[in-house]
Amino acid sequence: MKQISYTADQISLPPSPLHWKRFRPHMVAVCLLLLVPLFIKSTYVIDLLILCNIYAMFLSSWDLLTGYTGQISFGHSLFIGSGAYTAGILSFYFQVPILITVPLGGVVAALFGLLLGIPCLRLKGPYLALATFAASGVLAALTAVFWEYSGGEDGLYGIASVSANYVVKYYWSLSLMIVICGFLLFLVNSQYGLILQSIREDESAAEASGINVTRYKLITFVLSGFLAGIAGAFYSHTQMHVGTDQFSLHLSIMVVLMSVVGGLGTIVGPIVAGFLLILLNEWLRVIEVVRVLIYSFSVVLILLFIPKGIVPTVISGIQKGIEKMKSPARS
Amino acid sequence: MLTLLEILVYGAVQSAVYALLAIGFSLIFGVAGVVNLAHTGFYMVGAYLIYTFFSVLGLNLYFSLILAVGLTGVLGMLVQQFCIKPLIKSEYSVMIITVALAMFFQEVLLSTYGPVDRNLTNFYDATYKLFGLVTIDAQRLITLIVAIILIAFLWFFIKHTRFGRAIQAVAQDNEGAIFVGISPNRVYLQVIFISAALAAIAGALIAPTLGARPHMWEHPLVRVFICVVLGGLGSFEGTILAAVIIGYTEVIVSFCLSSYLGELVAFAIILFVLTVRPTGLMGKRAVS
Amino acid sequence: MSDFLEVESLSISFGGLRAVSDLDFAVERGEVVGIIGPNGAGKTTLFNLLTGFLVPTAGDVRFKGKSLVRKKPHQIVERGIARTFQLVRPFQQLTVLENVMVPHLSPKNRRKNKHRAENQKRALNILGQVGLGDKIHLLASDLSHGDLRRLEMARSLAADPELLLLDEPFSGLAAKEIETLSDLIHAVTDRGLTVIIIEHKLREMMKLVKRVITLDFGIKIADGTPEEIANNEAVIKAYLGKGGEKFVTSRD
Repeated sequence: MKQISYTADQISLPPSPLHWKRFRPHMVAVCLLLLVPLFIKSTYVIDLLILCNIYAMFLSSWDLLTGYTGQISFGHSLFIGSGAYTAGILSFYFQVPILITVPLGGVVAALFGLLLGIPCLRLKGPYLALATFAASGVLAALTAVFWEYSGGEDGLYGIASVSANYVVKYYWSLSLMIVICGFLLFLVNSQYGLILQSIREDESAAEASGINVTRYKLITFVLSGFLAGIAGAFYSHTQMHVGTDQFSLHLSIMVVLMSVVGGLGTIVGPIVAGFLLILLNEWLRVIEVVRVLIYSFSVVLILLFIPKGIVPTVISGIQKGIEKMKSPARS
Repeated sequence: MLTLLEILVYGAVQSAVYALLAIGFSLIFGVAGVVNLAHTGFYMVGAYLIYTFFSVLGLNLYFSLILAVGLTGVLGMLVQQFCIKPLIKSEYSVMIITVALAMFFQEVLLSTYGPVDRNLTNFYDATYKLFGLVTIDAQRLITLIVAIILIAFLWFFIKHTRFGRAIQAVAQDNEGAIFVGISPNRVYLQVIFISAALAAIAGALIAPTLGARPHMWEHPLVRVFICVVLGGLGSFEGTILAAVIIGYTEVIVSFCLSSYLGELVAFAIILFVLTVRPTGLMGKRAVS
Repeated sequence: MSDFLEVESLSISFGGLRAVSDLDFAVERGEVVGIIGPNGAGKTTLFNLLTGFLVPTAGDVRFKGKSLVRKKPHQIVERGIARTFQLVRPFQQLTVLENVMVPHLSPKNRRKNKHRAENQKRALNILGQVGLGDKIHLLASDLSHGDLRRLEMARSLAADPELLLLDEPFSGLAAKEIETLSDLIHAVTDRGLTVIIIEHKLREMMKLVKRVITLDFGIKIADGTPEEIANNEAVIKAYLGKGGEKFVTSRD
């Protein structure tokens, strides 16, 4: 009978995905973002970048749930909106300081995450999509029923601002983005991320490997909700307004489309797509008439021709380019 | 007594519209395994087209209808051929691209017609008194009657004609259908034409009552989705039953309480049903 | 009976159909048992019952003295039972190495594998044993069928089980591949692991097992050594056909 075994030294193991060298491009990007206010003084651009930072948090928290754990969610605005309204109501009626409303917004959204996660546990594919579609509708109905407190269709105006100084606002948004997105990057590249991906790939096989799929799914719903809720709460403070657009189906769909364009299951992809699409959207305002056509049509084109999303395609393109340069002799 | 009759009649109209919409959605899912989130986009396009032809250009009513419905059907086929077919392997990709298309339709209509509600002219201006008590306008009555006729016709068509059997064959066994000489792709195109046309008819019928807005595809989508999942994706009878349940629930709750509560109730129902029966009341298993 | 694995009056019905009917058997630690029977006999259903993917309508399963019924699959894996699937279920978008790292992250194994490098080393070890050591960087979706079967095996071993359930491990494999996989199973049983194998490739299976249970229509119709089974009339009638002895060869 043959012996078929290898010793560990003979094979080269892949390096840890958390090794700091992998994150050099990310660190460069962060440095650039930190330096922006020194060179650009226009409020318009800074405000745009604040929005980009906020969307980065919306999209990356969604990617954790959908891209990594495979739970297709068309209801992310439920989390964003509940965070926003918690902060808005606490600030508007009770003058609670921002440092408290934002985390509380996250907590309330996390609770909604649990409430949504439980019925979604057994659902797959279109049924799961439907349940999440319906999710933000619940919030819409709640704010409509309690319109005296929630401000109904118009929402609440006059919520405390993050800061009167737009540069300070920018750095707050950037810090929050770095913390949340950094945390997510760390999480998905750890072995926890491996577990989530196994759930996405095949739930039964994951169960058969000893993974408590139910618990991990619920944790992810709660975590995704918590982070999106914080971002949503912060968002309402930058707008000084909370309104129905913050839990709209439109927002949920935009989160999906932007993330998919960037590349599901990468965290970085959605962040990059968020920045690109928001800036592109503004840039196209110059040609107002066809702006929206080009914008949404490009989304469709990207879905058809670059299905993996921009970031993974670009990265593998760069890698192939590097390989070609390294060995030109290879035919 | 009057309220009860009103509920009966208005509930029927509401259910009829949902049934028309939901049937098309359920059909394309049952046959091609496609969750077409652009379905209510076709409803919206149908509404805007009839607005353009009938209210703006003043063309003959029947001609406008045929044009609006036909064009939307063709749009459906284009969507199927160029956007859905390439991505058919991945269920979630189809959902995402169709929702992107719905947004695209919305944006096109928004830039062409602007964000303002468009008021459409009624097909006929008249009011009737049903059962001598309930006032109903002609438009709603036409909607109800046409919807019932179409659904009955469709049911007969699917169960008893050769084409209908081809649809069933492809729905049940894609590859087996090829063996008996049926081209699944052709059937998909035909089915989406029917599906989009039905949605357009629903849009054209109800738009004079509700008006046309670029965002009008959002609200019915969730309803349709609810109907189809409640009744079970792919089940004709189940979808009709669910449409009736949802339609009447909405009308009852709107009459008795606030209309927003109706939404809440509908959502609560759907979450409850899905928790208890993850594949809907009568559903086939989702293609997964 | 046994204090290792005990199945008592196990039954499950789907609608009106009794897929498994009143099953009684026991397996001792260290045994290597084969399960045979025609398609639809309830073999995979039995595995699903043993591993928590199905809940029986009657009866009990006891592993190391404690009942398994109504426990979720991951809890049963915790207790020491691992399985492979009849149709392989790899984590497609993960590499071969990552596939085997996942079972090491179950609660039981997690403490030992807190550091990624530790996990990788252990996974590599197992992959070496199954002969996939040179393919660890490939995505599971790029593997051939034979390699997928080996990956399936590696994953089940990574769960560190005391009882291993193999569902048609040789299905779809060529003769040479069956031989290597069979050697692997033999190596594993030599180390003392208790194994239950469902197979249709009788000749190869009979070489590995010392006992065979036959199922038909959800009922146990025979339970004995390979020789006894090969000559059992009921088994011949239901499944083997005439000349059943040809499936039983002498072991190396």
